[in-house]
Amino acid sequence: MKKILSVLLVLALVASVSLFAQGGAEDNYPSKNINLTVPYGAGGTTDLTARSLANAMGRDLGVTINVVNTAGAGGSAGTLNVQNAPVDGYTLLANGMLSFVTLPINGYTDKTFRDWDVWIATYAPNVVVVPANSPYNTIQDLIEAMRANPGQITIGTAGIGSGGHFGAEVLKKVAGADYKHITYAGGGPAFTAILSGEVDVSTQLLAENKDAIISGDLKALCTLSDEPITIAEGMTIPSIKEAYPEAASMLPMGEVTGILIPKGLEEEKLQKLDHAFDVAINDPDFIDFCELRSFDITPYGRNESQAYLEDFASRVCWMLYDAGAAPISPEEFGIER
Amino acid sequence: MALEYIGTAFMTALQPFNLLVLILSTLVGLVMGVLPGLSATMAIALLTGLTYNFPTQTAIISLLAIYVGAISGGCQSAILLNIPGTPASAATALDGHPMALQGKGGLAIFIATTVSCIGTLLSVVFVLTLTPLLTSLALKFTSWEFFLLSIFGILICGTITAQASPVKGWISGILGLVVAMVGLDTVDTIARFSYGSVNLMSGIQLIPVMIGLFGFPEIVRAFKRHSDDQVTKASKFEMKKGFSLIFKNFGNVLRSACIGVGVGIIPGVGEDTGGWLSYWATRSLAPADEKDTFGKGNPKGIISTETGNNSCIGGAIIPVLSLAVPGSAPAAVLLAAFLMHGYRPGPLLMSESPDFLYNVCIYLVFASVAMWLVALVLSKLTVRLLGVNKKYLMPMVYALCVIGSYLINYNLFDVKVMFVFGLLGIVLTSMNFPAAPFLLGVILGPMLDSNLRRALRLSDGSFLPMFQRPICIFFLAFIILLILAQLGVFKVLKGKKLAD
Repeated sequence: MKKILSVLLVLALVASVSLFAQGGAEDNYPSKNINLTVPYGAGGTTDLTARSLANAMGRDLGVTINVVNTAGAGGSAGTLNVQNAPVDGYTLLANGMLSFVTLPINGYTDKTFRDWDVWIATYAPNVVVVPANSPYNTIQDLIEAMRANPGQITIGTAGIGSGGHFGAEVLKKVAGADYKHITYAGGGPAFTAILSGEVDVSTQLLAENKDAIISGDLKALCTLSDEPITIAEGMTIPSIKEAYPEAASMLPMGEVTGILIPKGLEEEKLQKLDHAFDVAINDPDFIDFCELRSFDITPYGRNESQAYLEDFASRVCWMLYDAGAAPISPEEFGIER
Repeated sequence: MALEYIGTAFMTALQPFNLLVLILSTLVGLVMGVLPGLSATMAIALLTGLTYNFPTQTAIISLLAIYVGAISGGCQSAILLNIPGTPASAATALDGHPMALQGKGGLAIFIATTVSCIGTLLSVVFVLTLTPLLTSLALKFTSWEFFLLSIFGILICGTITAQASPVKGWISGILGLVVAMVGLDTVDTIARFSYGSVNLMSGIQLIPVMIGLFGFPEIVRAFKRHSDDQVTKASKFEMKKGFSLIFKNFGNVLRSACIGVGVGIIPGVGEDTGGWLSYWATRSLAPADEKDTFGKGNPKGIISTETGNNSCIGGAIIPVLSLAVPGSAPAAVLLAAFLMHGYRPGPLLMSESPDFLYNVCIYLVFASVAMWLVALVLSKLTVRLLGVNKKYLMPMVYALCVIGSYLINYNLFDVKVMFVFGLLGIVLTSMNFPAAPFLLGVILGPMLDSNLRRALRLSDGSFLPMFQRPICIFFLAFIILLILAQLGVFKVLKGKKLAD
């Protein structure tokens, strides 16, 4: 008994020492393991992308990048943890940009994406799917039905401000008619709901629905990417703009995932991270992972990411604000429409 | 084909390195399960990172072994300390701890470990034979069913744990539901009862609540009774007696395994609920004169709970494999691990990598046998805890409680939560309100709330669809029966009082 307890105590000590042993000056960054905070639970899209990247980046930097899941409050808890941590290059954030750029207009923080250095790695498009036995066979069928029964067509998503919610808002703008928003506690429950037919339509990410589309359990009506997407041999999903060109200004819609660190890190260290990021997005394992999940790899360095986010944040923040789902106007943060 | 896959999986599992990993992972899982605060979900999440660079098959063996180990390990602390190691084994403490106090701790652990092993094995049979059928059953659960199931779960937990007065159990369950309302709701993302605090907005974490509710009363109790320097003797396993008890209760084992698998496949409902439902079924089917012995050290209670929660493992893996939707929280992490190792569970699994299903099943068989062996060796050490003076033991348990709460999100706020619920736990126990329904309320609260509101939004505010669904009618009937039984008891009591 004493043995176990002493072992436990040692373990506990080791754990606490490694937790608190942060800081200390050093020249050769990185000299110890890096923590990568994911503000969502293990197993989601952000988490899987982060782990995949962390593995390859760690190999280049010669240290282990530990993924720490700090879930809660719609992704704001983990993000704020990193924002408030010392900017020493040992605490990074991996986040989905939909939730990240909308944090200020939801009142979680005064800082915007402009206060962070960002590396964008992947883009995952939305897809509009219906159950196999649904009466809708094309996107036109669905949009007509939305126009004929405003507020009656049920669309299932992973919640307010989730990737699916933005997809549904695109449909609403195209149809010019409202829908009935049914929110679930995540992508998994939203997926079961469309499979079981509890909701009429789902607008979640393609990655979550891909296999069920290939197996024939779901019908894909269109994607919200700029281009049609081929998910399997002879199976191409059209872009919504083929039928509705006016949707083009809202595209591409979907989740964009990247690595972030609050501004203020020395340029030298940032360049090491630049290099590790470049290596990671060209890593064969990472490329395989993205192909399997139908993610586009978007190798945006720090400057390109800022430019990309200016456009992305403007579309996304105003869409959320117009839908009445965000309390603060994007204007207050200098985000132009 | 199937036999060939099974053969290959066997050979893979038997490789010396894989066997070593299997034993070590089982041990890690068990230790995490035994320690309050380190849950199965966390164990798998931690090890997913560690096993990332392992060969794929080895990594999967390791993760499944940790899963089985962590779910099974929780019973030891529940039996020995009356503090469940994981939420899944909260029901085991009901009969397990009284048995330990009667000097039968070794027997209790032996029974719990053995039926855990049997429960996992039985659930593997379900995975191998009934996956397509059970998947379609999982899809029958829509918002109304989830809503009624959560009410049902809290009601039966309240009835079981507060036998003298189920109303006290129900009150405790409802208090748990209230706590679950704190934080961002999942329907409209409105912050409730958070008073501007980001920590409260994240909601109250389950594990700190559990550690506080169950841990504090035990810690305080150790220092309260002055006469309690008498120490319970460490006891033998009594294998023969254990086996014969399990053999005599094999019907009970089978029934609990079926319930466990059934609960496991329903997405979002997991090991904790499985244990309670099995316990309830066993107790309500027991002869009238035996009912009173439940909660006082009846081995049947342990048998049904531990079979029930372990057979959830197989159940929870079914939707992971066939839909890529996890049936429980630990299974969600497991799904992530499968994806990271390049497998693609879901509707295409059987056509793309049909061997995977058999691999998982065979590895589960190995994991449950390894768990049985390792757990029995481990418990030779843990039963000695009973022999330690509680005044020395409990301060260490307290330290573990604090560390365990902190490790969940590396957030000191969770430690404060643990402390507050610890004080509440002391108040509840001193007033004879059971803590278990409170915990189940916190677990099922978000499910109850969001599913009711979602269902009403879908039906434009009408309750009618609830009465048009077969599974709903089934739950409604049981809920009404439970409540009516309760009202009946009140009437009898009132009649007696009047007669006095």
